[in-house]
Amino acid sequence: MTSSPDSQPLHLRATGCRTALGNARATCDGLLLGRRALQFLPVLGADGGDPVPLAPLPERGPAETAPPGWLPCLDALAAEIPDAPWGAARHPVFVTSSNFGVGSLYAFQRTRDSRHLATGMPFATVEFLRQRLGWGSNVAVLSHACVSAHVGLLVAGRVLHAGLAESALVFSFDFISPFVAGGFHALKILNGGMPAPFSDRATGSIGLGDGAAFAVLDRGRGGCRLAAQATYNEMHHFTANRPDGAGFAACLEPIQAAAGGRRLWIKGHGTGTLEAGRLEAVTLARLFPEAPLVSWKGSLGHTLGSCGLVELAITIEALASGRTPGTVAAAPPCFADTVATESFANGGYDGVILASNAFGGAHAACLLSHD
Amino acid sequence: MADALLVRLKQLIVDTLKLDDLRPEQIPDDEPLIGSGLNLDSIDALELVVQLEKEFGIKVRSSEETRAILSSVAHLAAYVRAHAPADKLPPLP
Repeated sequence: MTSSPDSQPLHLRATGCRTALGNARATCDGLLLGRRALQFLPVLGADGGDPVPLAPLPERGPAETAPPGWLPCLDALAAEIPDAPWGAARHPVFVTSSNFGVGSLYAFQRTRDSRHLATGMPFATVEFLRQRLGWGSNVAVLSHACVSAHVGLLVAGRVLHAGLAESALVFSFDFISPFVAGGFHALKILNGGMPAPFSDRATGSIGLGDGAAFAVLDRGRGGCRLAAQATYNEMHHFTANRPDGAGFAACLEPIQAAAGGRRLWIKGHGTGTLEAGRLEAVTLARLFPEAPLVSWKGSLGHTLGSCGLVELAITIEALASGRTPGTVAAAPPCFADTVATESFANGGYDGVILASNAFGGAHAACLLSHD
Repeated sequence: MADALLVRLKQLIVDTLKLDDLRPEQIPDDEPLIGSGLNLDSIDALELVVQLEKEFGIKVRSSEETRAILSSVAHLAAYVRAHAPADKLPPLP
């Protein structure tokens, strides 16, 4: 229940991602054009069901296959990671996910084909990837629902600050499966409507998207840096946030203190649900009244435990391009005047806040600074 | 004579949510079910809606619709009457 600001800067040596729109550059370009990757697809994939907003990788078919259809995506993403003896003592890997290929477990339950079991459970999946990608044994597995990637960044930072590593790789993936989509559909928040994050409307909806990403951190200087990180867990209810938004504020206040007088823009969580979207937008507008707020989940869908790292990689591309994509699919009225529905030039800003939230009032945020 | 649908819905609420210390007839027709009144939370609401969908062949489309129909037993009954196939409903009083 405590805030944990990690205020010693960390150098972001490299980032990358894969989404339904492609790699980080292509994803950022697509968002800048206002492209929506989400499409209405059967909630249970090859097993059918109601049409809901999903954004799978273009190369994946609807059926769960063995090996999984998302493996080539991870191979391509891993090829972008700068060379280092990953998984060796001084170069740890932190693998974060919310679902770890649980679609394979669903496929095993449906078919009894044991080939699916190689990628159906967290530790088995990570071990499978470790061997496939040639990593050593210094690989940790972290999961905390939709703030998983932030937790990976936080832990990697602490290992670096403690002098236990020269560099650290945080690697994250989450892919749509009938098991997960069916679960969100049962909750009635993945429904027949496209998400419109932070829009004040009668009915909310999320979309789900495939997403994988990595970040390489070290203690170097220059470039982009994680200037502060914070997490907070409300312990209020096992799915809901405190209705007064205090949990959002508790996570963001240390980030606010670290930001000082910086001119900021904010990449929020913004899935398209109404209550959490309102709490997030209102709290951010109160704490950072001058900072434009965006979410990209109206295009890419929610990439669950990977969203923090996917959106970090897109943010780095946005900084390189000089323009920040707006909140695709959002339309006024919004929960706060700070919500940016259109893209904007980011050259006049000297910091970015990236925030993610999860079931049960779990919150995470970081401050990205850059030269 | 009591409305058979209201009676059935109250029994379903008690049974589904295992409200052992509550008799169905103690649930008022017009009090909120979520947040106050029975003080159900979102997980209770989900359990209830899943059971309602099974028993009455209805389809609730969103979490907002869930919240609206569970605003009271009377609202719930009106929704079920409007959306359930006739063969799933008890006769009108």
